[in-house]
Amino acid sequence: MIKPDKFVPYLYLLPALVFLLLVYIPIFQNIGDSMYNWSTFSPDKAFVGMDNYFTLFKDPVFYEALKNNILYAVISIVFQVFGGLIVAAVLEDKLIRKFSPIFRTVYFLPVVVSMTVIALLFSFFYNPEVGLLNQFLKMIGLNNLALPWLGDSETAIYAVIAVSQWQSIGYIAMLYIVSIQKISPELYEAAEMDGANKIKTFFHITVPATKEMTFVAVILTLTGAFTVFNEPYILTGGGPGTSSEVLSTYLYKTAFSKDMMGYASAIATVILIITLLISLVQMKIFKTGKED
Amino acid sequence: MRKTKLIFASFLSLSLMLGGCSGERTSSESDVGKTTLTFFHRWPKEPEKTYFNEVVKEFEKQNPDIHIKTEAVLNDSYKDKIKVMTGTNNPPDIYFSWSDEFASQFVRGNKALDLTSYYKNDPTWSSQLVPSQVKPYTFNDKVYGVPVTMDGKMFFYNKDVFEKLNIHPPKTWNDFIDVLKVLKKNNYTALQFGSQDTWTISHYVGTLNQRLVSPEVLAMDYNRKTGKFKDDDYIKALEKFQELLPYFNENTNSIDHEYARQQFSNGKAPMFYAETAEIKLFGPTKFELGMFNFPEVEGGKGNPTNLTGSPEGFMVSSKTKHPKEAMEFLKFLTTKHMGEKLVTDVGKYSAVKGTVNENNSSPEQLEAVQSILNTEEMAPWFDMSIDARIADAYLTGTQMMLNGDKTPKQIMRDVQKAADTVRFEAGK
Repeated sequence: MIKPDKFVPYLYLLPALVFLLLVYIPIFQNIGDSMYNWSTFSPDKAFVGMDNYFTLFKDPVFYEALKNNILYAVISIVFQVFGGLIVAAVLEDKLIRKFSPIFRTVYFLPVVVSMTVIALLFSFFYNPEVGLLNQFLKMIGLNNLALPWLGDSETAIYAVIAVSQWQSIGYIAMLYIVSIQKISPELYEAAEMDGANKIKTFFHITVPATKEMTFVAVILTLTGAFTVFNEPYILTGGGPGTSSEVLSTYLYKTAFSKDMMGYASAIATVILIITLLISLVQMKIFKTGKED
Repeated sequence: MRKTKLIFASFLSLSLMLGGCSGERTSSESDVGKTTLTFFHRWPKEPEKTYFNEVVKEFEKQNPDIHIKTEAVLNDSYKDKIKVMTGTNNPPDIYFSWSDEFASQFVRGNKALDLTSYYKNDPTWSSQLVPSQVKPYTFNDKVYGVPVTMDGKMFFYNKDVFEKLNIHPPKTWNDFIDVLKVLKKNNYTALQFGSQDTWTISHYVGTLNQRLVSPEVLAMDYNRKTGKFKDDDYIKALEKFQELLPYFNENTNSIDHEYARQQFSNGKAPMFYAETAEIKLFGPTKFELGMFNFPEVEGGKGNPTNLTGSPEGFMVSSKTKHPKEAMEFLKFLTTKHMGEKLVTDVGKYSAVKGTVNENNSSPEQLEAVQSILNTEEMAPWFDMSIDARIADAYLTGTQMMLNGDKTPKQIMRDVQKAADTVRFEAGK
């Protein structure tokens, strides 16, 4: 008989310990840091308690950034989760399934392209005079829609969000394709025999069957929307003015341009709390996400 | 299970060993007897990139026991990264710094080495630097940096278009507006401007502030300890800036400085506010290039002939283990030979005396350098003269003003708030 080794189980715990050290300790350190005022140039830290948070909750730029993140979240849910599911359902449909590998690649390609490359590409795309978008709009006669997308405070954030959707729909669609492939085709056949059309089968079979994947997709999209950095930073830098700031770009600017580390730590803690809340609420609503 | 334990144990010890080894390598380089210096600058783009690489190679050839590791990131990223890097235990030995307030923050944080003794002990070298360019790196009578380039900002214009419309370089603000009106009437986009990067805005605002606000008030406000920005002339300066809006191209906030420069240099727009160092970047223009200083603003209390511009140079880390070798490199960088090479290869004007001459410069470049050398007083770049937080409030606010989203009064209120915070901290 093989003696159960007492030592080995602890070795299997080591990765979790590493995780604890490298992830959780800095998180708590950051929360502590947010109660001080310090910068890279001054050698001392001044304890200010909750002052940074009081200032933060009175800061109009904070609310603008938060609003932009919420916009991001709402639009992402509509386009990525819902849109992704539709794309996946269409690609997995019996008629199109033969051609779907090509489409899958087309939709997924933006996901693997470097974010920096995409942002630079879209900076050119959005150029009000020589960019492709406005040239196209002018060509089809929609001259008054040929706006300075990235330079107008009203449209800047939407232009940035649009780029993110373009990149990420493919990812969520792929997740849904995997999930849809697991659905037994007999369900569809039965529904078809009962006279259901495509839309009915979509809402009554596809959507409920992919509930687990929807849970995953919503968490991914929502936390992504509140932690997004690359797109706004590269496309607009948060501008013009502060109209397209998001929490993470505001954090970056506060920490590294304005050298206000304590305040930046406070912003980071707020992002942490928001994403934590989203995950907790979601888990409650979807009831722990176990397969049923 | 025995085997698993063995594998785990060996893997663990291996990773610990590797972790320990990589820690060693960062402090001192492998070559025995060689001194390694880290050199951090803000030009990963051409033509500066090749220039600095060649200077480093030449220096290493002449000093075989010194090895220089070069690193570069672009402008705005540089501003952020250098602050982080000087805050670590391994700051770069030699690093680029703008002058005035930007340099002063390193001095205040004890991150910059006092170089006064090097200046004093080697007058052959130090006397060949243009004194007006060393001054912006001097704080409390001590020199903390070595200027490498000098620069000024002027209005460049298309002489051919001006001749055709019979207009002349304006001397006063009202003349300037008249010139712009004539250009606009003749269907030109009079003044090309790309304000996507806020530093372009700071050059306009800074010069207007200098022209309009009395020098005493300006000096008081730009000082972190006393700055209040309550004077009405600041609002006037922003209003003057607004007067230019009808004559700019549309959507300045969507366009960056490089694109705007191209519109000027390929003849699409007849005027452009740019640094003298950009003359080379215009390339050969199909029109005759002219330049004039920012006009005098009627009713302004500041010196009307000041030229806005600053030197750019390098500082040495206070924590460097090789100050002598670092200074050797900086002295090498500012020899007449390397200064002339800078003018020829890069088109920037070296802060070393006598390096800009007919052999390596166009007549326009010579004209520009003369303006810099003849100017009574230089006004440093605005965003480098004030605390970064005040600059942020000023510039993001003005960027919104260009879109019509904020008024000068609102901008100044934000600036005053930022100034209050800075004053409070500086007083401690």
